[in-house]
Amino acid sequence: MNVTTPIEQRDFKIVGKSVRRDDVLEKVTGEAEYTGDVKLPGMLHGKIKRAAIAHARIKSIDVSKALAYPGVKAVLTHENVPRVLHYGSPHPRSASCTKDQYILDDRVRFWGEGVAAVAAISEEIADEALDLIEVEYEPLPAVFEPEDAAQPGAPLIHEVGPGGNLVLDPVRVNRGDVDAAFAQADFVLEGTFSGGRPHPAYMEPNVCIADWDGSNKLTFWTSTQTSFMVRGILAEVLGLPLTKVRVLVDHMGGGFGAKQDLFQHEFLCALLAKETRRPVKMEFTRHETFVAGRSRHPCKIWLKQGFKNDGTLVARDMKLVYDSGAYGSHGPGVTIVGTTAATSLYRCENVRLEGRCVYTNTPINGAFRGYGVVQSYYALDIQMDEAAERIGMDPAELKLKNVVRAGDIAPSGHPILGHGLEICLQHGMDVLDWKSLRNRDRTPDPKRPHIRTGWGIGCEMHGSSAYPGIKEQGNATVKVNEDGTVTLLTGAAGLGTGAHTALAQIVAEELGVRFEDVGTIHGDTDVVPWDIGAFASHTTYLVGTAAKMAATKVRASVLERAAMKLQVKPGEIDLSEGNIFVKAEPGRFMTVAEAMGPSRGIPAANIVANGTYEPTKSYSFAAHFAEVHVDTETGIVEVKRVIPVHDVGRVIHPIAAQGQIEGGIQQGIGHTLTEDYIIDKKTGRSLNAGLVDYKMPLSMDMPDIETIILEAAPDPGGPWGAKGVGEDPIIAIGPAIANAIHDAIGVRFHHYPITPEDILKALREKGA
Amino acid sequence: MRRFEYHRADTLEQASRLLVDLGDDTFLFNGGTDLLVEIRERLRRVRNVVDIKQIRGLSDITYDETRGLTFGALVTVGRLENLPLVRQRYPNLRAAFASLGSIQVRNRATVVGNVCRASPSADTIPPLIADGAFIHIYSRTNMRVVPLAEFFTGPGKTVLAKGEIVTGITVPPAGDNAGKAYLKHGRRKAMELSTVGVAVSLTMEDGLCNDIRIALGAVGATVLRAPEAEAMLRGTSLDAAIVKNAADKAMEECTPISNVRASAEYRRDMVGVLTGRAIKQALEAFA
Repeated sequence: MNVTTPIEQRDFKIVGKSVRRDDVLEKVTGEAEYTGDVKLPGMLHGKIKRAAIAHARIKSIDVSKALAYPGVKAVLTHENVPRVLHYGSPHPRSASCTKDQYILDDRVRFWGEGVAAVAAISEEIADEALDLIEVEYEPLPAVFEPEDAAQPGAPLIHEVGPGGNLVLDPVRVNRGDVDAAFAQADFVLEGTFSGGRPHPAYMEPNVCIADWDGSNKLTFWTSTQTSFMVRGILAEVLGLPLTKVRVLVDHMGGGFGAKQDLFQHEFLCALLAKETRRPVKMEFTRHETFVAGRSRHPCKIWLKQGFKNDGTLVARDMKLVYDSGAYGSHGPGVTIVGTTAATSLYRCENVRLEGRCVYTNTPINGAFRGYGVVQSYYALDIQMDEAAERIGMDPAELKLKNVVRAGDIAPSGHPILGHGLEICLQHGMDVLDWKSLRNRDRTPDPKRPHIRTGWGIGCEMHGSSAYPGIKEQGNATVKVNEDGTVTLLTGAAGLGTGAHTALAQIVAEELGVRFEDVGTIHGDTDVVPWDIGAFASHTTYLVGTAAKMAATKVRASVLERAAMKLQVKPGEIDLSEGNIFVKAEPGRFMTVAEAMGPSRGIPAANIVANGTYEPTKSYSFAAHFAEVHVDTETGIVEVKRVIPVHDVGRVIHPIAAQGQIEGGIQQGIGHTLTEDYIIDKKTGRSLNAGLVDYKMPLSMDMPDIETIILEAAPDPGGPWGAKGVGEDPIIAIGPAIANAIHDAIGVRFHHYPITPEDILKALREKGA
Repeated sequence: MRRFEYHRADTLEQASRLLVDLGDDTFLFNGGTDLLVEIRERLRRVRNVVDIKQIRGLSDITYDETRGLTFGALVTVGRLENLPLVRQRYPNLRAAFASLGSIQVRNRATVVGNVCRASPSADTIPPLIADGAFIHIYSRTNMRVVPLAEFFTGPGKTVLAKGEIVTGITVPPAGDNAGKAYLKHGRRKAMELSTVGVAVSLTMEDGLCNDIRIALGAVGATVLRAPEAEAMLRGTSLDAAIVKNAADKAMEECTPISNVRASAEYRRDMVGVLTGRAIKQALEAFA
């Protein structure tokens, strides 16, 4: 990896260094406690009965045999749980989600939806009892494709919402005069694009444990990105004050966005525990993470763009239809973000966009890294390549000509800061000597004449924070202990990305203590300050700034106290690496521990400060350069080499940032070539809900990745200019691969995943 | 995971008796890498498992120039994969073993278990069939030896009668004039079930193909031979045009289905491509 820094340098002690993560030892020794490791005395195990029908009304449900089964302690159905209409995603005060779920309904809207829940003394007994629950269904006509669901007269999946199976009213953006611009364009490209249903398949399946105490307080362990949202929505639906719900989450095995819904099993677990007065654990099988988890919205896109003969983009008209599945979840947010993202990336003054999100009788789609933008930028970027091909221009040059620059209006409505995308693209072209790559000898290797090689570029930008959809708030509390160590309290979740390490680095840097002296407390809603959750690439940007603000305050208090002890004015001293010294006489100093600790009848200091930050948004940028080998006999595409060039502003922890980028590329390769969660379009049944036939790339399938991080366009909204990096890496790799395949075999694909069969079919059609 | 009864047998006789006495839904428990997954995923209804891992005499590997390679039912895939003899004399078996599951799975799974599961896509079966392997079967009344090619009767089905237990497999010796290959086709490079698997074992004499066996995996109810393609190749120099015609014939001889992994048409296409490539690779032994 290579970090190139054209921005202002200062003497950082901790920021910008790949310090050893604070959780690394417990993780590699297996000591780290995940939610599934929690065991409580008398704990029961819960399981969910899932419907084997895609759309139906429940005529009757008989649980008597299950209740009588030895070891079963409780069974819940729609007849004995509270009927509260609630949001599927716990962002209830934002436009990102929709209120369309009941804990259990007398209606089934997708194959695999829960219709009953059992608690028993063992997981096996609970599982066996599911078969004893007898459900009689009245089948309803089902729709599995958005086109069918949007037809007039199509069966309605919900009574709520704008009707016509729409999750929200169409999202429309109009800017400039699109029709006039098309009339003036030298040429117009028009195409349809589609994306499959990739699934995040995080390592740790969803799991929760509910325990009620004698004061009727619920303690709830759950693997979630949004513990305060879980607390809020559980309290709302269960009719409890927030003092009676405590949510705990320590280590997580990933989430990728999908663990920011409030899931049916979480309510049911709490209710089963209440009913039995015993702790209850519910853990998804891998099958359930597919069927009852959240996947990326399949999407159909129609895109028309007008260009001048010199490659300048002048008009864009785009219609997007996202498939929400049976519930709204993050459908509104994904539709808004994915649609408005198309106002940008490649600058265009005349834009007309329309985004729709449609219910279907399929498993629920939700938030997933890249949040609607993976889909829209796949189409945008590929069509830019096509425009270059049309006029015989190098696609890199055409993209360079059109990428957004400082001052252009971002999807958030703010002017973009810095020339991040232009710099990334140009840097990659320089490093690779792109011109000579384009003009390389394309004669196939005589030893492998069936292999064709290709290079492609994909570009992306993505916001840190969910503004303007959600006006966010980051909070942090920093305490200085009497031995000079520091405790950071944060509500930000640690999905496994190293976020807490980055936050501790920021506190240590700002305060002037060693990284090892900062401890982080997180994941307990009774203890840490309120947090909106870990999503939208914002933890370092948002909570990092809040932590820095709190650290600034405690630093001033520490200096004030040290000044008193040193009998100087606070302005005369400074704090660095745990030592407080008189600036004029560096030999005269005391440690933070000495400043904080008790002495001569003075008790130890109690120094605590909060930081609260309400940002707008910053954008991070990337250009991915990918080399593929296409086997023209088998259709297999191998990604051989990827050079991701990212601008993420100030880098806090280079290896963690690199890890995010490599992981995003791995997921993006999967999206583009092998991963697709397939729903049978006749029955709504899942055909590959498991890791045998849902093909994620493994380490053996990974290309060489040469990560380049440029600190090209820092954003004053983040700590020392830091921006997000979480979502960006998954967005640009898809079009880079698709464009590289075209470079290799001369065939355009407008969909993902691009399968070996698609490649062979296209090659035959081309040959014919 | 559904509950089941665990039984341990210390002798073949005891295991065989348990298989009969415990009735339907009783299965031998060897490596367990397939069986336990099938129980957990509810793909197989299991009431009893009979653990045979403590039975003596089933863990041996022997080789001699006349009889060939013999390994017992408890020999793991990983052990055979890393055996120098297998690397040197049976590159086809080596390729199949090394492509099965993951290292962790291979250290647990047995070749005999993979064979007895009788999956049409099992990696170990095509090269064993192409090599003309035999399977040793124990029963309390008479022991028998069956050519592996005659062992399978359908997907998951074999000629084993109730109470019969496979004790080992013998692969004929690999002569100096032999060329062997196994090519597995999937969507990724590890932890993959084959979409198509093609094994070729051939012998050459004076520049002509003396004998050839082609075995096709995942394109029929069992692993298939391609007898007509083989007939076209015997006695020829295996030049490119002949190989191309035989590969086309192999495409006609297979009977693939469409499923979530691939369409029948694609599988058939891959039989053609892989048969040609496997013959080419087998011939590299003589280069």
